[in-house]
Amino acid sequence: MRSRPLAVVAPVSGRAIALSEVPDAVFAQNMVGPGAAIDPDRGPGVVVSPVSGILVKLKPHAFVVTAEDGRGVLVHLGIDTVNLDGGGFVLLAEEGSMVPAGAPVIRWNPAAVEAAGLSPVCPVIALDADRTAAEVLTGTVSLGAVSAGDRLFTWA
Amino acid sequence: MQRTVTVASRVGLHARPAAVFVKAASAASLPVTIAKEGKEPVNARSILAVLGLDVRGGEDVVLEADGDGAEGILDKLADLLTEDLEG
Repeated sequence: MRSRPLAVVAPVSGRAIALSEVPDAVFAQNMVGPGAAIDPDRGPGVVVSPVSGILVKLKPHAFVVTAEDGRGVLVHLGIDTVNLDGGGFVLLAEEGSMVPAGAPVIRWNPAAVEAAGLSPVCPVIALDADRTAAEVLTGTVSLGAVSAGDRLFTWA
Repeated sequence: MQRTVTVASRVGLHARPAAVFVKAASAASLPVTIAKEGKEPVNARSILAVLGLDVRGGEDVVLEADGDGAEGILDKLADLLTEDLEG
């Protein structure tokens, strides 16, 4: 059984918003999972791991880290950014490696994503969380300014 | 019972198409697994597991379910994968 609540930190600096505000129906309707999103500060930035664990999947525009207890968190850098085919994203960590919460994973520029006509909003998703349990995510930041590494939400 | 399907979505089973697929698999009355050909099957109801497969567009996957209604379930899931879920 799950041991402790999992603290999930903001992977980027910007403004924390509700998932329902993400301009993509699949994310906005919690279909990928519950979570929160960050409208990132524009300009070059570094994306950090939201939890300590193994970087099980690393793509230029998205990655998944599984914590010690097996729970996975997805960070998606912008919407439809898979179509950029990695352009503008620099990987700073290796798939399969251990990453502490707050460790650099990817360098990118949300302003460039926006200039390409895409939303740079970053959903941060609790994968396989029970979507019906309202209490799954507690302590979601008072939506507003966050810095990378600040607590974003707690996964009960 | 198994079904081999070619994933149509150009970008493969990444976040959004994977979510649509996992939701359908979760709604099915039987457990379903998905595997890349020749690889270990994973639970099709787990988005973490499905994202972990890292299926690319144009790749084949093997769906498996057993029991009453397996054929209908596999048909439905196979149809989903052969649509371009990015659409």
